[in-house]
Amino acid sequence: MSKFLPPESYAASGAYDLLPFNFTRLEGDSYLATNMVGEALVMERDVLDALINKQLSPASPVYADARAKHLIAEQGDKSPAELLALKTRTRYQRLGNFTNLHMFVTTLRCDHSCQYCQVSRQSEDKAAFDMTPEIADRSLDLVFRSPSKAVKIEFQGGEPLLNFDLIKYIVGKARPRAVAEGRDLQVVIATTLSLATTEILEYCRDNDILLSVSLDGPHDLHNKNRPRPGKDSHQRFIAGLQAAREIVGFDRVSALMTTTQASLSRVTDIIDEYVALGFNGIFLRALSPYGFAVKTKSYAAYDTEEWLKFYKDGLKYIIELNRSGIHFIEHYTTLVLQKMFTATDPGFVDLTNPAGIGIAAVVFNYDGSVYASDESRMLAEMKDQTFRLGSVLENTYEELFLNETLLSTLEESFTLSAPMCSECAFEPFCGTDPVFSHAVYGDVLGRKPSSDFCKRNMAIFRHLIQLMQQDKDIERMFRGWVASC
Amino acid sequence: MLKLGGKVIRIEVAGDAPMPKRDKALFTISTNAALPKPMREWSAYLMREADSQIPTGFAHYIWIGEEDSKPQGLDGLSVTVLPEDYSYMQDGDIIRLNSARGEIRVLFRKNSPHNTIMVTEQCQHYCLMCSQPPKDIDDRWLLDEANDLIRMMPRGTGELGFSGGEPTLFGNDFLETLKLTKSLHPGTSVHILSNGRRFADRRFAADYAKIEHPDMMVGIPIYSDDPAIHDYVVQAKGAFDETIRGILNLKEFGQKVELRVVIHKLTIDRLEKLAEYLARNLLFLDHVALMGLEITGFTRANLDKLWIDPHEYRDTLSKAVRILEDYGMHVSVYNHPLCLVNPDVSKAYRKSISDWKNEYLDACTPCTRKSECGGFFSSGVKYRHSGNIRPFV
Amino acid sequence: MKAVECVISFDPAAYSLDTIQRAAYRYIDKFSVDFNVKESAIECTLHFDKDQADHDGLVQDFRKEVLDQHLRARISKETESIRHLILAHAFSRTGLV
Repeated sequence: MSKFLPPESYAASGAYDLLPFNFTRLEGDSYLATNMVGEALVMERDVLDALINKQLSPASPVYADARAKHLIAEQGDKSPAELLALKTRTRYQRLGNFTNLHMFVTTLRCDHSCQYCQVSRQSEDKAAFDMTPEIADRSLDLVFRSPSKAVKIEFQGGEPLLNFDLIKYIVGKARPRAVAEGRDLQVVIATTLSLATTEILEYCRDNDILLSVSLDGPHDLHNKNRPRPGKDSHQRFIAGLQAAREIVGFDRVSALMTTTQASLSRVTDIIDEYVALGFNGIFLRALSPYGFAVKTKSYAAYDTEEWLKFYKDGLKYIIELNRSGIHFIEHYTTLVLQKMFTATDPGFVDLTNPAGIGIAAVVFNYDGSVYASDESRMLAEMKDQTFRLGSVLENTYEELFLNETLLSTLEESFTLSAPMCSECAFEPFCGTDPVFSHAVYGDVLGRKPSSDFCKRNMAIFRHLIQLMQQDKDIERMFRGWVASC
Repeated sequence: MLKLGGKVIRIEVAGDAPMPKRDKALFTISTNAALPKPMREWSAYLMREADSQIPTGFAHYIWIGEEDSKPQGLDGLSVTVLPEDYSYMQDGDIIRLNSARGEIRVLFRKNSPHNTIMVTEQCQHYCLMCSQPPKDIDDRWLLDEANDLIRMMPRGTGELGFSGGEPTLFGNDFLETLKLTKSLHPGTSVHILSNGRRFADRRFAADYAKIEHPDMMVGIPIYSDDPAIHDYVVQAKGAFDETIRGILNLKEFGQKVELRVVIHKLTIDRLEKLAEYLARNLLFLDHVALMGLEITGFTRANLDKLWIDPHEYRDTLSKAVRILEDYGMHVSVYNHPLCLVNPDVSKAYRKSISDWKNEYLDACTPCTRKSECGGFFSSGVKYRHSGNIRPFV
Repeated sequence: MKAVECVISFDPAAYSLDTIQRAAYRYIDKFSVDFNVKESAIECTLHFDKDQADHDGLVQDFRKEVLDQHLRARISKETESIRHLILAHAFSRTGLV
């Protein structure tokens, strides 16, 4: 007759090895342990101690979880190493594509004079601040030197629409070239829409161009942040938004906000504005310490704690909206969640390791200067040219992308080699921002214990993990946000 | 439930009739009295009523009915008398008759979408809920017969399954059978049920991939993210680790893999964690099948360890499906009555029980959604089923 | 009168001269450093610039910087292979390396 053996015959032996993982205290006695691809387990300190000392018993409820999440492996098991290798390869897969985001600053001219603008904008009538076709051509050549199959061109400024002819010129050349090379080209214009005529919008529709528009909040806040002759930025924005959606397409227009001191107390109003205007998400950004922001001291005007309150209140409100049936996400959170829930790095330039400078994004300025990132350009506006890689008029692709500062910065800011980062359980969710660090602390790595970047992000990670630990429904909601992207 | 095999009432082989292989032979069923003469050599003529004319030249004749109502015209011919259980047989079906043991087995049903060839009853596992309990015998003849069957199968068959026991135990011989299937039936999609362990041998996985079949998939079970539980359910130490490595090799060589989970009391507790494990580690799986328990084979012996009313676990099932769908994986829920699952699994829900094992309860009679329902395993109707069956009205 | 210089010591078993020099470099806009390397101690004499007021704060910060530089060097060495592996992967399809 058939003989079945009991569970004990198949139980884990309890003889295990540690797989590479880091641990960091969450709060009190509670610790987070993560492996190289961000698979995470929360446990109490005494359990963690036992686990590390190879004394955790298979009878412990944590044992099977630690095994499944590849924090430990029973001796004799071969699949954990294979799976970890596969997942690690997935995590870093995007890197080989090299530069994907190419920003073209078509002009420094602008009809707005936003207080926080990182660009030393010139008033509307100085054509000396426009990119020339020759510079555009050289820049395009460099774009197509990237090995990435998917390439994104983003037009910025000033107000890029003030040099719309050049945009048409560039798109007219880039599209056929992308087709000929079998590449997927995405084109975006970052604009206020205040100057978007029907002709311009129709061109965008006919040429598959996406629009990224600035919306800081309800009209009083938006206008305060973004002064314009006529004091009608918000009004123009609304008109432009409607026209853009109707002509170019609803899903082709996304919004981006900038946070200022004035924004900090208005997070629910700002979110309400986004929801009311039909956007399905918002990006609650931190204020960057560059350009006019520093000059006008609006960066120093608030600190990380205030911003964190802004973020947490905003997230709380968004969760409530979701519970009431309104599907709305927070984009920065979703980027972090994507790193928590999957082994795929979304490749967000400001929160990735190695840093996205050059190897993920690059900026071609109106004058032909090449910058390692948008922040690098902002820094240059403050007379710090550290991250200027060269010029399209003078330097080859090799000279630009093998620039000494770029390479040494990539190495020195590498999280896995940095004190504190290299042992931080949040490292898989985090990244490095060498330009920020250089701007604020004078070196590309900075000291993490006193770094605002570190403080802000660690607080966000702790907060999200805590929310998910306390409420499984929120974990499911968050997973749904990642799924919808 | 259809009876696919068993004792005949009587079988008689005429003196010179073909029963070459140890008293076993395969026949294609025919109800066509005008069947071209050469084809009658491998066909069995099926009769349910006393015809006036019995067509000559068939290799065998089958009478479904009482022994004493058998037409006299069949005297002297090779004849098998079958009970009414087999009245479902149709023109084009393929059967095996064993004259020494007086047995019939319907191996292939032309109008069924669910033809599966069992190539062996041997298996390295001993799953607590195995529906085809393993036997430790040398049954290589089953693989030989499978090859014969494949040669007899009509062109245009949509899908063919291979199962066991564990088909890969025959190693390269099994691969030869797959190659034969590809050559003779290139348009037929192939679905293999296997524990996947043999594919941990890279050479074997590579040879499997070399077949380059245009539409072939392996269905491999994993019952938990905890190897201790998986190994216990399949009653084999080290099974989980080797199965995973088999899957990885198959995927490395670009082969299609389906992951199958049978849901019962031992697998339900960690079902969500298994879903997360699959999403984090095996995102490239072509399909995940979450399956209800069939109360047959070993299941009955282990019912106390395995039985849980699906109604009790419906929320866990919903959560597991949700996890897999959130990660963009292709999921199906099989073998569950519709009234025992939540509406949120509707996208994954399939009406799936093989037609020959499907039945309904009396309580189901007034149900307005019967046509969408997967129904029950006949074994469930007979031995154990949920107390929460409610018709939709 | 405030001293314009101050002497602090480091244990050579804990920190190398190289590490301390790297740390000292970060402060050359605030103070200069003379090194006196003995067997049991590395003595650093800090000469503060005239415009620097918070000497104690600077000394404290200097000590922190020494620890920082020490760890950077050590971890960088330990993680060299994975760092190079990942960075090389980034440049692998550019034709640049």
